[in-house]
Amino acid sequence: MTLNGEPTTAAVTAANVRRTYRLAEPVHAVDGISLSLGDGSFTAVMGPSGSGKSTLMNLIGCLDTPTAGRVTVSGEAIGALSDAERARLRGTEIGFVFQTFNLMPRLTAAENVTLPLVFHDAVEASRHERAEQLLERVGLGDRLEHTPSELSGGQRQRVAIARALANDPTLVLADEPTGNLDTETGAEVMDLFAELNRAGTTILLVSHERQVAEYADHIVHLVDGYLEEIEHLGAPRDVAVGHQALTATQPSDEEVQTDP
Amino acid sequence: MNLRESLRISWRSIRSHKLRSTLTTIGVIIGIAAVITFMVLGGGFTESVVGDIEAEQEPVMTVQTQTEPEAGVGIMLVETPIYTERDVEALEAIDDVEFVAPDGSLELAQTDLGDEQVTGVIGAQATTADRFEHSTFVEGEPFEGEDEAVINEQTSQLFDDNVSAGDELSLTFEDGETADVTVSGVVEAELGEQTPPQLFVPVDSYYTTTVETPRGEETRAYPSLVVGTERIDDVDPAQEAVTEYLEDDSDAAELKQDDHEMQAQTVEDTIEQFTDIVDQLTVFIGAVAAIALVVGSIGIANIMIVSVTERTRQIGIMKAVGATKRDVMQLFLVESVILGVIGSIVGVAAGLGAGYLGVWLLEWPMAYPLDWVVIAIVVGIGVGVVSGLYPAWRGARVDPIEALRHE
Repeated sequence: MTLNGEPTTAAVTAANVRRTYRLAEPVHAVDGISLSLGDGSFTAVMGPSGSGKSTLMNLIGCLDTPTAGRVTVSGEAIGALSDAERARLRGTEIGFVFQTFNLMPRLTAAENVTLPLVFHDAVEASRHERAEQLLERVGLGDRLEHTPSELSGGQRQRVAIARALANDPTLVLADEPTGNLDTETGAEVMDLFAELNRAGTTILLVSHERQVAEYADHIVHLVDGYLEEIEHLGAPRDVAVGHQALTATQPSDEEVQTDP
Repeated sequence: MNLRESLRISWRSIRSHKLRSTLTTIGVIIGIAAVITFMVLGGGFTESVVGDIEAEQEPVMTVQTQTEPEAGVGIMLVETPIYTERDVEALEAIDDVEFVAPDGSLELAQTDLGDEQVTGVIGAQATTADRFEHSTFVEGEPFEGEDEAVINEQTSQLFDDNVSAGDELSLTFEDGETADVTVSGVVEAELGEQTPPQLFVPVDSYYTTTVETPRGEETRAYPSLVVGTERIDDVDPAQEAVTEYLEDDSDAAELKQDDHEMQAQTVEDTIEQFTDIVDQLTVFIGAVAAIALVVGSIGIANIMIVSVTERTRQIGIMKAVGATKRDVMQLFLVESVILGVIGSIVGVAAGLGAGYLGVWLLEWPMAYPLDWVVIAIVVGIGVGVVSGLYPAWRGARVDPIEALRHE
């Protein structure tokens, strides 16, 4: 993390990104959004349902490709990548945390954590060590061999967070991570995110709860696929970084670029 | 993702659905086991017949007429008397040929030894003493007088008190004629266990079947001949000469029907022909059994599709954390191949077991159809790949965004 106003490199950038679904008539789920997430930033995305939050997440998470505009993750434009290359990018640069945890039901906590490593041939022995270390970090050092069904909701989400960190990703994407948790457990999970961010992890959080979104440094407000407003929260710890890290430009038709 | 990793993950997934996986593989097991069982039985049957014969080779061949049956596989012997006395003499004149003995079939209705009667069963042949040139006599010797007969071991054993040389037999033929003969000797069975009971009597005293030759004369003719050579090495050239004569100059060639074929067969040829027929039958039955295998592989495909649908969400998770289409495809393919391979290994074991039980009950020797075992394993892998291909492709195609929304 860079301090004192020095320019930071962008982990993820989106430039005039549009995602159109061809239904009865074309629907622009994301309609010309530009933003840049600096290394080590903590950003929340808020908006009513249908505002394009999930679509934006999918684009940044390399699960989807933009219809127009350009998304880069760690400097790579995802529109130009093949399916397999995007899968690799997801495996190495992105860590996902979902509302419904999405753990593999038959794998133990440790195996779930190291699942991303399985798909690029990491040695089995070092994997277990990695799992131990990560579960320790999220406070589950004693739950390595438990399967998801033997864990509470909060514990499951911690396993999911540990999994998101397994590959040392450029960005952790959290989609309503507290949505299935009670307030107290949710707060604990958000504390963990804040702690990870302080240690240098870049986080993009989607939430419709103001209370949750306020853990972030900036809140991006989406309405109908447009970027309505970027709110910079006055958290004293890294205001400078925040301002440096996140810039937004309103879309203009002339500026729209298309990825090949 | 490396293969070891997918083996581990797929194996775990198979084990987590034990009952389902077991039922699925049973389809393949039955298919493979059925094929292997029939191969063992076929091999055992061939072995039981041929094994005895191959032990001793005699320098003789049989001239006979064959035709293809109207339906089914194999060959049929034709019993029409077409080999005339002139043919016999001409064949005897061939250099390598030592003797030609006619084999004229007689229709024996009943055979009496004292109070004991045997009806039918015994095949009676009218022949000459030459026929026994290379035969091994268990006791006695070839017939000399006109009221003597030679029997084989099978005939001897038909009676409670085994018939032996010197015993008197009363023969009743189908046409009502009767004759009393003295057994002059007992010969060893020619074709081992499978040899039918036989009785030989002198041709001059008992054989009367005649045909009209193309030249217009009435002469005795036989449905088959036994041609002997002095040494085993003379058989091949003799066979060639005999065949040539039969085709070019013989009365038989004129007398036979168009779709009938004359053959000079050595014991070796007979074995080969027999083995061919059994092999054809075995493969035919095996092919029918293989239908079970097709059903089995449809079972695997079916269960894999269910499995892909069930695990849509898990596929989504794997894709989100970096699994490529290829990884997903590999996982499901490995799973179906494991099912196929387990099915074929257990199937081979079960097939060998069932085959062993079968040949044991039938008192045939055990045969291990090694080539078929290899084929079965390869087919098992093939079944796994083929039946897993479409489900795996479906799994690989799952859209992670959709899948993760999947409840």
